[in-house]
Amino acid sequence: MEGFVAKHVHDYQNGRISRRRLIETLTLAATAFAGKGAGAAEQSGLDVALVNHVSYTCPDFRKAADWYAMVFNLDQVGATARDVALPFGNKGEKPYGVSADDVPLTHMIIRTRSPDAAAGNGPPRRKAKAVIDHIAFTVADFDRERAKAQLTAMGARNVRDGGPFSVYVDDPFGYEVQIGGLGVTAICGAETRATCGDNR
Amino acid sequence: MERFIADLVQGLDSGNIDRREFCKAVALAAAVYGAGDAAQAQAQRGFKIIGINHMSYTCPDYAKARDWYASVLNMKSEATRDDGKRANLMFGPEPGKGGSFLVARSPSSTASGSAGVKPGAEAVIDHVCYTVPNWDEARVRATLKAKGLDVTGRDGSLHVYDPFDYEVQIASAAVENAFRR
Repeated sequence: MEGFVAKHVHDYQNGRISRRRLIETLTLAATAFAGKGAGAAEQSGLDVALVNHVSYTCPDFRKAADWYAMVFNLDQVGATARDVALPFGNKGEKPYGVSADDVPLTHMIIRTRSPDAAAGNGPPRRKAKAVIDHIAFTVADFDRERAKAQLTAMGARNVRDGGPFSVYVDDPFGYEVQIGGLGVTAICGAETRATCGDNR
Repeated sequence: MERFIADLVQGLDSGNIDRREFCKAVALAAAVYGAGDAAQAQAQRGFKIIGINHMSYTCPDYAKARDWYASVLNMKSEATRDDGKRANLMFGPEPGKGGSFLVARSPSSTASGSAGVKPGAEAVIDHVCYTVPNWDEARVRATLKAKGLDVTGRDGSLHVYDPFDYEVQIASAAVENAFRR
């Protein structure tokens, strides 16, 4: 911007453009620049690429981990005395839909710990006034009726419809889990996909 | 299986095999059949997971959460799904191609089929960690501080709180990876 202004001032001082032209040009440029600046400010956050992990805390992490491993065919890796990770794929694989090399597979960390354990290296965790009341997983080749039959066969509790295109089930600690296909999106959710013309 | 046993019985009756061979053959057939059935059942049991579709986040004021996640984590609110009680905040790959979203809800909003918030739940998702690609420590810290947030954690893995004191972790692939724990 500074270079642009300097050039036009130089032209004005050398008689190449009129005072009026200088004012018009600089007004237009400044307005456009301000608009870009405001846009940049709106986008000044961090671009998150994917969920890295969700931290799931329960009274018995082994029991929960076994359930998620069974239902979603997940491996359990890096187990300690109080937690274990369940990555959504095998080592070296990229997450679905991601081409970048620095976006790892999403994973669950299933743990048993105090609810007010420290966040990072900070003081004890604050008591949240918000809650993630359920989590929804995307699975391949989803079919609601088949999914319900599979879950029932696995002994899952409280299997029920989640609109026409997903199912809900409770994990061993009563946490609500939703399962659906790729067609359940932020634009065309599980409840409304029929009206979105998406029949997947 | 039935045909196989019928043939064995015929062999027994005709004297081609003795009783001992007959018993061993039936027992072996049952074991093989059972193992195969179990293996097949095992293979068909679980789902092939693709990723997290969405997380349902209930808080006292969805609009405040919507604006915070849009501002701090550049999530994009899908205008057609904002009904004054909830907003769908998209991030990652395109919708339908691996993209995820956070559903910010006020307490009066519950998804169809969902039980909503359960008081006294035994399990809780106590924080969510998001991957930021092209990690630049100074830039990430400066961005969070510019938003007025207190940042804890270590290089490559930072923690902040959202407006409702829900913990949010932001991390690089180098530091937060299931296979490098």
